[in-house]
Amino acid sequence: MNMGYHPNFRMNVVSCIKSGIAIWAILISENLSAQTKLDLTSMAEFNKPTANWHIAGSVYADLNKSHHISFTPGTGILVNIPDSTARKDLFTNFKHGDIDLELDCMMAKESNSGIYLQGRYELQLLDSWGVIKPKSIDMGGIYERNDSKRPIGQRVFDGRAPRQNVSKAPGLWQHYKISFQAPRFANGVKTENARILKVELNGVVIQENIELSGPTAGSISRNEIAEDALRIQGDHGQVAFKNIVVTKFPDQKPSLSEMSVNIFQGRFEKEPDLSKLKSMMQKTIPTMTVNMEGIPKNFYLSQYNGKLIVPESGEFNFNFVSKGGPARIKIDNKVIFPYDRKGGKTTIKLEKGEYPFELILSKYYASEVATISLKLSASNLREYVISDPKVLQLSTKDPVLVEAKENTILRSFVDLPGSKRVTHAVNVGTAEKVNYTYDLNTGMVIQVWRGDFLDASPMWIDRGDGSSKPLGAVQYFGTPTLAINKLANSNAVWNSDTTGTGFISKGYVLDELDRPAFKYNMYGNSITDATKMLDNRQGVQRTIMLKNAAEQMYVRLASANMIEEVSTGFYIMDDHAYYLKLDDIGTAKPVIRNQNGKKELILPIQNKITYSILF
Amino acid sequence: MKSNQIKSSMRSINYILYLFVATLSMQTMSYAQESPKEEDFFKINKLRSPEGTLLEVGGLCTMPDGNLAIATRRGDVYIVENPTSPKPYFRKFASGLHELLGIAYKNGSLYVAQRGELTRLQDANMDGKADIFETIYAWPLSGNYHEYSYGPKIAPDGSFYVTLNLGFGDVWWSGTSFVPWRGWALHIFEDGRMEPWATGLRSPCGISMIDGELFYTDNQGDWMGSGSIMPIKKGAFLGNPGGLVWTNMPNSPLKLTPDAIFSKVNPRIEFSEDGRRAKPENIEKESFKTLADIKKDVPELQMPTVWLPHGVLGISNSEIIKIPKGVFGPFEEQLLVGDQGQSKISRVFMEKVKGELQGCAWDFRSGFQSGVLRMSWANDGSLFVGETNRGWGSAGEANEGMQRLYWNSFMPFEMKTVKAMPDGFEIEFTKPIDKKKAANLSSYLVESFNYKYTPVYGSPPVNLKKCPVKGVKVSEDGLTVRIIVGDLRQYYIHKISLDGIRDQDSSYSLVHSTAYYTLNNIPDGPSLSLKEVSTKNVANATAAVAKVKAGEVMTYEQVKPLLIRNTCVACHNPNKKLVGPGFNEIAKRKYSVDKILQLIKNPQPQNWPEYATPMAPMPQVSESDARKIATWINSLDK
Repeated sequence: MNMGYHPNFRMNVVSCIKSGIAIWAILISENLSAQTKLDLTSMAEFNKPTANWHIAGSVYADLNKSHHISFTPGTGILVNIPDSTARKDLFTNFKHGDIDLELDCMMAKESNSGIYLQGRYELQLLDSWGVIKPKSIDMGGIYERNDSKRPIGQRVFDGRAPRQNVSKAPGLWQHYKISFQAPRFANGVKTENARILKVELNGVVIQENIELSGPTAGSISRNEIAEDALRIQGDHGQVAFKNIVVTKFPDQKPSLSEMSVNIFQGRFEKEPDLSKLKSMMQKTIPTMTVNMEGIPKNFYLSQYNGKLIVPESGEFNFNFVSKGGPARIKIDNKVIFPYDRKGGKTTIKLEKGEYPFELILSKYYASEVATISLKLSASNLREYVISDPKVLQLSTKDPVLVEAKENTILRSFVDLPGSKRVTHAVNVGTAEKVNYTYDLNTGMVIQVWRGDFLDASPMWIDRGDGSSKPLGAVQYFGTPTLAINKLANSNAVWNSDTTGTGFISKGYVLDELDRPAFKYNMYGNSITDATKMLDNRQGVQRTIMLKNAAEQMYVRLASANMIEEVSTGFYIMDDHAYYLKLDDIGTAKPVIRNQNGKKELILPIQNKITYSILF
Repeated sequence: MKSNQIKSSMRSINYILYLFVATLSMQTMSYAQESPKEEDFFKINKLRSPEGTLLEVGGLCTMPDGNLAIATRRGDVYIVENPTSPKPYFRKFASGLHELLGIAYKNGSLYVAQRGELTRLQDANMDGKADIFETIYAWPLSGNYHEYSYGPKIAPDGSFYVTLNLGFGDVWWSGTSFVPWRGWALHIFEDGRMEPWATGLRSPCGISMIDGELFYTDNQGDWMGSGSIMPIKKGAFLGNPGGLVWTNMPNSPLKLTPDAIFSKVNPRIEFSEDGRRAKPENIEKESFKTLADIKKDVPELQMPTVWLPHGVLGISNSEIIKIPKGVFGPFEEQLLVGDQGQSKISRVFMEKVKGELQGCAWDFRSGFQSGVLRMSWANDGSLFVGETNRGWGSAGEANEGMQRLYWNSFMPFEMKTVKAMPDGFEIEFTKPIDKKKAANLSSYLVESFNYKYTPVYGSPPVNLKKCPVKGVKVSEDGLTVRIIVGDLRQYYIHKISLDGIRDQDSSYSLVHSTAYYTLNNIPDGPSLSLKEVSTKNVANATAAVAKVKAGEVMTYEQVKPLLIRNTCVACHNPNKKLVGPGFNEIAKRKYSVDKILQLIKNPQPQNWPEYATPMAPMPQVSESDARKIATWINSLDK
């Protein structure tokens, strides 16, 4: 629902026109400054960068060589290669207070860097590949603070380890989303600590709502400040960045003021005409809240009146949840949420100004406690609660998490992005946090992930929906397709249909360590397909065996947008998303070909092939 | 004595006589009130398991060595060693499977139905855990949560049967077969061959093998007026048209189409004002068909062998098992049926009449801690009961568990069997009855009713009629009575209430005094002549229901018989949450009496989102009963 509002000014028409133009101008400038992608065609965004910082077109970090990044000329990527002559940190020209930061970063092997918000609060960047129990010095940790005045043994403190280690191998792009709230000051004195609101790494929340008691060790200053430049550490190791998107937030946000409430007794299934009723109680209240003394337990209607103050024009998203009975909201005397129990979301354009605000809630559901929760957000405004944030916590069910303390199998439905639900999927987890899912209907490994095993809440709370979700950072491998095909030649179309293949799943057999080897029949042959964690924990290794040596049989190893062979049998997949390594393929020659707008890596198989996925 | 004195003495004597008789009859009444209950004969114990062992039981089977295999909805298989000892030992045999809803043993392997396949589990290296997880046969799934797959049950030739639930999507009241073979029973061989066996299934949780034949219970819902026991024969149509969409597959054993049913019964595809599908509601005064009406034109249709009246003998029927010879005394070789919603077990007796099985059902034992899903006999004649209620709620204080039912060898006073006769019924008892009361026709009440065959979610009992009891013949040994009952109707469920019957020794009433006989066939043969029977009919003091003035509020004791007779107590308790909300919770909603009457006829389950099982429409509750109940409910809100 989108509604335009006219400014609520009590002035003459000419002033209105002038104000209208001014508002239009404000709108344009607000939208432009809200979210920006940093221009990496040159170093112009940065303040006197030193020579260790470069702009590049592509980068490559060798998986096996320490501190090794190389790059090719071009634009779009920021690379740091420090040496004895140049190794300073990088500072942006812009200064920031509250900020959302999104970026891709690539670590070299054993590299160490960091993102300092306001140059003071460090989010650690480290090659933590394969670490099982991450610390605050690992990738995604909030770096420690130090204070030499404290007693020995307590001088280093407040480092926050990430919830899990979901970082990837060196040389792969890793995706960060960071939400930061700057410290608050009044009359030069800090009134509120800075906060890391959220850090997501590779799609997984690893930090949430962390209060920062002060700058972390290595801060540019011991003092704290409303706004300062963003800083990237440059002295410790090679690192590359791209797609850096910054969202800054305005100082002021809409609020409700001059709130009062009228209470009417009765059971109102339909919206009543309040002008005809007498209220039993009237109060002014500091916030729009249900927590008040003297209201009945049930069968009453609360009518809230007040002003919505909009300090800067914008397009605002309202998110309304209520409990207890039907509720209705009017802004500027127009209904934005009708009288029902559904609540919901709606978006309205509001010019800077003040608007009458009315909310009515009819409470007659005996089994529900009266609840009002009204949240606002905008493209440059993080969602916040505009009603009383101290609301009774709506009860939710305990999540059901499955931990893999040893090699663990759990079958479930699995949902993949952009694909039909996989119904015959087997999830396999290890204590070392390397996990994968196998689709019995195609013989394909459909996803791998590092981190905790599964969230089974979707299937084990109440009736559930039969599915589970990985808890770590997932690498998907596209729409499930038959792993093996019989092809007339290496250019023949890859068939996803089992018709005529005699495909039939035979289940799996566990080895002494409870690791499954999947078995199925196809083309009159018996196939054994086993994927195991590599001993060095760098990923998984897969062995596919045919019982009878066969001709014209191919295995589809991967389908990706990009496949780069950097050395014989070693591939970088999908623009540095994961690696694929051919370990033992006999005399077979791999083929990279185009299929359906993507690249496909296929390999003829006579008896057996072994390859690894490193991630 | 002078005449005055004589008169007053006579009066005194009369008064004393009156007191004496009154006391005698009061003693008789008080004996009836102290009659033993279920729990005095069949005891329930918990199976001891290590703390934290979650037993949402989906499958149970006793293996030849006496160990108990438990399959759970969380995908685990436990083997319990020495399960009847004071210290059962739990071993986790397998895990990671997808919602197990059955387990069976054959030749050293355990077989389970997962959501998507029939799997054989074998411990090849004999370390106590399964290492072979062989897919015997996998079937398609759409990924709908309700596509539960039950079984297997093993036929005498070693082959397997599984039954597959329909899916329920946005149109939650109407089951859909999204992919082959949902709503079907499948016959699967060890070598992986599959033949589709029968369709028409809705929620076939109660798949069972009785004497080598495949049976199951289906659950009340769309096209299923009430739960019932039915055999699943090859090529049969069990009633719900959902699965008929696959009868055009080359290997289907029947060719019946969905339209063959919809042309006879309106599928009620209805829409609300906003254009969305609307749930069809029960229409009170409509002409309707019963299954018997359809059977004439649809020979594939399987009639229920024994109806389990909804709300009385369960709301979500589950497993059927046969009581072995020598077990549970008088009930040996009869059947027990579990119920997941009311957490209880019913008892069933079947007989063949004109070559077809039919029979009778009674309550047997309630009070299990959670919904009864699976049962298996221990080697010592006790019964393992596997329970779960996640997603649906149930009576009982727990969400899952394993319990054990055993008989203390004391003889309960019960109906042993009810058999159909050409002119009524013959009832056998476990103990001799009081002949005088047995000869009194007012000790018996017979009513019959049927269910509609419609796409509406469940059916109220319809065509209710009282059947006159015209005479009774009591056997010499007092163990059998034969009642002559008029107005018998073929295919109808005959509710036989023996409230006035007492046992000879202690004048106890029957532990369960009501039987439900499904009269699919009336046997041929000679009727009793009225000369052989008693036709005495003396009104029974215990039968009266309290008469209350209009508007006056009844007490709980007064309204209780109404709540029982209308089966409200199946799901509601005055102040406890059962399958449905307590009456005190309903009172808090401050509905008007008229509104409650409306809701009894057309319940609105969305008003109670925290209760998983929707209330079925109950238009059969008389207005006068409904008013008394509604007035009493509202009196609870103080």
